[in-house]
Amino acid sequence: MKSPLRSLVTAALGVFSLVAAPAFAAKDVVFAVASTFTTTDPYDANDTLSQAMAKSFYEGLFGFDKDMKMIPVLAEGYEVSKDGLVYTIKLKKGIKFHDGTDFKADAVKANLDRVTNPENKLKRYGLYNNNIAKTEAVDDYTARITLKTPFSPFIAQLAHPSTVMISPAALKQWGSKDIAFHPVGTGPFKFVEWKATDYLKVARFDGYWRKGYPKVDTITWKPVVDNNSRAALMQTGEAHFTYPVPYEVADVLKAKPDLELVAAPSIVLRYLSMNTQQKPFDNPKVRQAIAYAINKDALAKVAFNGYATPAEGVAPQGVEYAVKIGPWPYDVAKAKQLIAEAGYPNGFETELWSAYNHTTAQKITQFIQQQLQQIGIRTKITLLEAGQRIERVDTWQDPATAPVRLYYVGWSTSTGEADWALRPLLYGESWPPKLSNTAYYKNPKFDADIKNAQLTTDSAEKAKLYKDAQETAWNDAPWAPLVVEKLLSAHNKKLSGVYVIPDASFNFTEVDIK
Amino acid sequence: MLQYIVKRLLGVLPTLLIVALFVFLFVHLLPGDPARLAAGVDATPETVELVRKDLGLDKPLPQQFVRFLSGVIHWDFGTSLRTKRPVAQEIGDRFMPTFWLTVWSMVWSVIIGMAIGIVSAVFRNRSPDRIGMTLAVSGISFPAFALGMVLMQIFSVQLGWLPTVGADTWKHYILPSLTLGAAVAAIMARFTRSSFVEILGEDYIRTARAKGLDETHVVIKHGMRNALIPVVTMMGLQFGFLLGGSIVVEKVFNWPGLGRLLVDAVDMRDYKVIQALVLLFSLEFILINLIVDVLYGIINPTIRYR
Repeated sequence: MKSPLRSLVTAALGVFSLVAAPAFAAKDVVFAVASTFTTTDPYDANDTLSQAMAKSFYEGLFGFDKDMKMIPVLAEGYEVSKDGLVYTIKLKKGIKFHDGTDFKADAVKANLDRVTNPENKLKRYGLYNNNIAKTEAVDDYTARITLKTPFSPFIAQLAHPSTVMISPAALKQWGSKDIAFHPVGTGPFKFVEWKATDYLKVARFDGYWRKGYPKVDTITWKPVVDNNSRAALMQTGEAHFTYPVPYEVADVLKAKPDLELVAAPSIVLRYLSMNTQQKPFDNPKVRQAIAYAINKDALAKVAFNGYATPAEGVAPQGVEYAVKIGPWPYDVAKAKQLIAEAGYPNGFETELWSAYNHTTAQKITQFIQQQLQQIGIRTKITLLEAGQRIERVDTWQDPATAPVRLYYVGWSTSTGEADWALRPLLYGESWPPKLSNTAYYKNPKFDADIKNAQLTTDSAEKAKLYKDAQETAWNDAPWAPLVVEKLLSAHNKKLSGVYVIPDASFNFTEVDIK
Repeated sequence: MLQYIVKRLLGVLPTLLIVALFVFLFVHLLPGDPARLAAGVDATPETVELVRKDLGLDKPLPQQFVRFLSGVIHWDFGTSLRTKRPVAQEIGDRFMPTFWLTVWSMVWSVIIGMAIGIVSAVFRNRSPDRIGMTLAVSGISFPAFALGMVLMQIFSVQLGWLPTVGADTWKHYILPSLTLGAAVAAIMARFTRSSFVEILGEDYIRTARAKGLDETHVVIKHGMRNALIPVVTMMGLQFGFLLGGSIVVEKVFNWPGLGRLLVDAVDMRDYKVIQALVLLFSLEFILINLIVDVLYGIINPTIRYR
């Protein structure tokens, strides 16, 4: 009996001594984030977090600064042909990939050809293949992209964190699949190792093209799922930056002298969509009544601990071409009047679904339930789990039988441009299962505005069309607009240069620690 | 005995086959389309189809099952739908942290639990018993996540003695194993107590006392061996449960273990990982049961195996 036990103990001790704590170098920073990364390949990722992390080693032709303004990164600038079909992009010179090769126009071609090739089966294939017809390298520092149809938000798409430049040499070496485990880009940090269970580590790239950066030696990305544990990590100093900070622990972290809590503006809009193809929501008066019946200020206080502001339009402020129309007033008397005019003086019963099943969503739906009771609408709440949501909402095939009625959901416009804020959610051809128009909204006037805005390259004309589209949708009220979230992050006061940008991605090229 | 073990081990195969079939059917019955989940909310239908093909989910079910089975025979569990890494590697990376955490939790909780149980039984209905059983009831009823958070708050945040999350050094094992073992220790204490109380009333204990043996001898030598059978059964069961990875404790301490892998896999409908994990858990239970049965024979030589 004794000897196996003894060998077990020796083995255990052996394991412990092998994984001794690594020695800490001069400037190492640790970012604690909320979930594990799905991949390091931004073309194959659909979560903001993985794409934000990939900014460690990848950069795009264009990008966003910390206020979500579009800026050229690897590109010098661009020109569009008159017909809006051909984009000629000049590239910066003297930029090197981590593997030592030069960044040239062939990289643009290799990357865009890769994602538009269905054989590579990348998750972002559809987004690119819909509009890119072909990519050419005109000379070493000029790339030319030809579109299938004019698509004026195209540059915004190139600025999205999924459009990055991967080293063509590395792509050739590792292949389209394995590149995800050996990322090679032009970014400020080189990939070191990814232990899926524990952390992803990157180290300073000495040949980075922006002189003087990066200022730290390594970044360790640590996914810590539990909210309280993440907060504990910040308090002990084991992590220097964390996002998101849950509302419950915001006050605890705020009280710590060495930590700073930051509430950044976002373009994450929360709204209540109503199925406009089904009774009684086919009546605009019913929809408007619901929008009037919800106190958005109180909602922001109750469910978001004050870290949200009432929505002021169909697209949140911060998105290009967003128009400020609201907030939609809170007026119960008016709501009662409208619902009576619509023929439901005693209200009705209906379903209220939430696209998420976390506690904040629970608070929000309960609040909405209670508010709608004021005008006689009795709701049954269901918080959909991811799989249920996909089955009952996202992939429902026949719009006529769609079971969704009132649906609490949110949207982050990751391109920072009005097209992606409006088209996926309200365009007549974006009904599920195609995209996310869960209100099954269709208004020819709105659709024409969106279509025409895509075709024009004239900025003033675009602004006019998008303004008209947003006002149309606001008045038709396929949604009750609720709130725009604030993004809560916390960082150690020694840390600087890390920003949560409005689409919930991060900018950290300038990260430094004292 | 050896013959018995071999016979039992052969019996494992049909059991696993049945488990495999049920798991396969079950995961495919879960609502939600994994291709759509993997492709994301803003994916177009063409992209979803591409992803479906990429994941091999466009084939008919029986064909998928045959592929799954033949893969298992060749020790190939496919690649994870979520991370595209081999399933064997995903599980391999996480098995050891869960295993060692389980071992350490079991070691302290069995020792402490049995000690409390024996003391409580010997001093039945007196103050040591009352204190011991109060501890045990608290241990069972105190939720693990709350205990974990309280421990972390005290020892990591306030005192700064121990690290918060991760599984890198032996220090990382202390808080999670305390948290994980608390409920087990409590269960062991109650089991040991009731088992001992029964045994201490037996005739042969009275005989042992009558022939003048001191109480320590009576309890340890004559009582222990006989009281151990139900305790060992419980120990095996608990060990099996813990090996499945505690979801709550792994979440609080960000433990790189199997419990979190299972949760992530179910969330994303990562069929291949779910299947492989359930098969692994079944195999673990079967093996533990076998070990427990063999232990019976060692503890009580009157038990014979054929």
